[in-house]
Amino acid sequence: MSIFERNPALRWAVPAVTAVALVGGGSAIRGVQAIADAGLPARTAAQLLVDVQQANLDGLSGTVVQRSDLGLPDLPIAGAAGGTGSSDLTSLVSGSHTMRIWFAGPDKARMALLGTLGESDVIRNGQDVWVWASKGKTATHYVLPAHDAEDKSATGKSGTSPDQSAVPTPTDLPTSPQDAAEKALAAITPSTEVTTSGTATVAGRSAYELVLKPKEATSLVAQVRVAIDGTEHVPLRVQVFAKSVADPVFEVAFSAVDFSRPDAAQFAFNPPPGTTVVEGKAMAGPGATDPTVNAPQPGSAGMPTVIGKGWGSVLVAKLPVPDASAATSGSTSATNDKTIAQLMKFATLLPKVSGSWGSGHLMAGTAFSALLTDDGRIVVGAVTPEGLYAALAAS
Amino acid sequence: MSAAELATSPAARPLRHRPLRHRPLRHRPLRHVSTRFLRSELRLIFGRRRNQAGLGVLAVVPLILAITVTVSTPRPGHGPDFLASITSNGLFVALSSLSIELTLFLPLAVGTIAGDSIAGEANIGTLRYLLAVPVHRTRLLAVKFAAITIFSLVATLWVSLVGVAAGLALFGGGEMTMLSGGQIGMGPAVLRVVMATVYLGLCFASLGAIGLFISTLTEQPIGATIAVVILNVMSFILDSIPQLSWLHEWLPTHWWMAFGDFFRDPVAWDGLIRGLLTAAGYALVFWLAAWARFSDKDVTG
Repeated sequence: MSIFERNPALRWAVPAVTAVALVGGGSAIRGVQAIADAGLPARTAAQLLVDVQQANLDGLSGTVVQRSDLGLPDLPIAGAAGGTGSSDLTSLVSGSHTMRIWFAGPDKARMALLGTLGESDVIRNGQDVWVWASKGKTATHYVLPAHDAEDKSATGKSGTSPDQSAVPTPTDLPTSPQDAAEKALAAITPSTEVTTSGTATVAGRSAYELVLKPKEATSLVAQVRVAIDGTEHVPLRVQVFAKSVADPVFEVAFSAVDFSRPDAAQFAFNPPPGTTVVEGKAMAGPGATDPTVNAPQPGSAGMPTVIGKGWGSVLVAKLPVPDASAATSGSTSATNDKTIAQLMKFATLLPKVSGSWGSGHLMAGTAFSALLTDDGRIVVGAVTPEGLYAALAAS
Repeated sequence: MSAAELATSPAARPLRHRPLRHRPLRHRPLRHVSTRFLRSELRLIFGRRRNQAGLGVLAVVPLILAITVTVSTPRPGHGPDFLASITSNGLFVALSSLSIELTLFLPLAVGTIAGDSIAGEANIGTLRYLLAVPVHRTRLLAVKFAAITIFSLVATLWVSLVGVAAGLALFGGGEMTMLSGGQIGMGPAVLRVVMATVYLGLCFASLGAIGLFISTLTEQPIGATIAVVILNVMSFILDSIPQLSWLHEWLPTHWWMAFGDFFRDPVAWDGLIRGLLTAAGYALVFWLAAWARFSDKDVTG
């Protein structure tokens, strides 16, 4: 203490150094993970795809953090009001979200979206699928048809490995995993440059990285990186990078993962007393779940069409032009009309653009562009606005 | 009776520690003496009318919640968190009260005690007497912070206790439905409520360390209290700005809401551990800052 008595100002160094050490130490733990040399033997893209396909996953549990910053303004419509910390399943379009995942074979899976003092769960146990939302104390029950369960077991892994949706899969039945990998690579090579990059560390595990680079000039996506676990061959992280920003615009990654088989009790769900239980109709799968989503009904709007191929493809849909009274009328179909009316109103705040294809309002994000034309068409794609105009002119 | 009076009383004389080795063996061990100082501090805190009144105000929220819910049943998805679950299990009165009070009431209560800890004594002139007896300033700060931590835990447990008592009396207990939709028995449920309460109490104590530091900067206890409340509210505001998401995990209040993670199946420990580490970090840094400030402070008041 004598140093402090001679030079009292030196005392302030103690809390200052402690604060720096704590902040630095906390940040460094993540930094060290990022630069750690994983020391895995080199593998080609085809070998990695074979690994993924042959992965024999007994079970896993873990925490997944999903972040998206698509550069889109918050939409003032129902369903997009979630944001960070919400346990509402429709809130996933923006902000940062934490999910817990349990997987024990294709017919036993559970995903819990953690919100502040709330939670939404999607639980698959055999033929039963439950969707639980703690905020409204509602549970929706779906029963998968027996033949559908067969299909599910083939794709069941994508229910728990949130990343496989980004990996292009072959449509025809391959004869071997190697064949499948070759076919998949051949299918995407004309539009995509596929490489493997050094090894990454995700959730404390060494992983390979598969890098997909779109060749399409109008694509807003710079690259998609898929990190694949070095020993279990399960995708651990998917990052989508846009050309305009350095940080990933979309990321879903395990922050913790454990490859032991979770307890069967984890997948049992009995609606607690006081719960509103809804028996759902036949459903597509655990992914397309939330009954509150205002999905456009096929009858009310023209079926969306896809123009272009690969990374440059653009979705064009025709919105029914609602008359002003639709937004306020109390009819049963008013919810959709109201949403569309709100969207239209919101669109008028966006910059106006016009060209040979007509005129409309443009929403330009970092990874997506969306165009609402004055004649009621909505055009969305992961391309530059020029790409949207070209697609419209071609249609 | 102030801590200074107590410290100057003959019984407290062994507080002086420098001549320790010259002291005959019949003297009490040092540990015993330091609890005496802490106990006198706690007697001061809990004996003050204004603090008792403050604890009374904290108890009003669970009572209001419990009574209003008996009058009209809330609909799920509306009102404060956990409110709609109260009718199914009285324990939720405590949780709902905590989620309401953690934004302002409980931080204010802890901030009042922390702001008063040094500045209050300086303001009424007892700090000088307290320091006139050879109590080491470092130990004085340690005892002050221990007292703040105990008050923080007691105040939070008090809210829970009133909530549980009112809830069980009006709605009964039984199986508790967790956020994940599963159910646990009454015993484990009570244990989880206690753990969540202690977790929040420790979180508030870290805010108390900030208050202790501010209290060494001023002789106006009310100023220190207001500063603590402003910092608390500021932290909540910053936490709600998405553009500052890189900052959020470092904010003192960011992990408080994680107390709900005790009611998942299984318990989601990640956020809770991060919360405790953050609280410990803030407590350590600001206690050291208080020490740096207080050790060479000229006490004139």
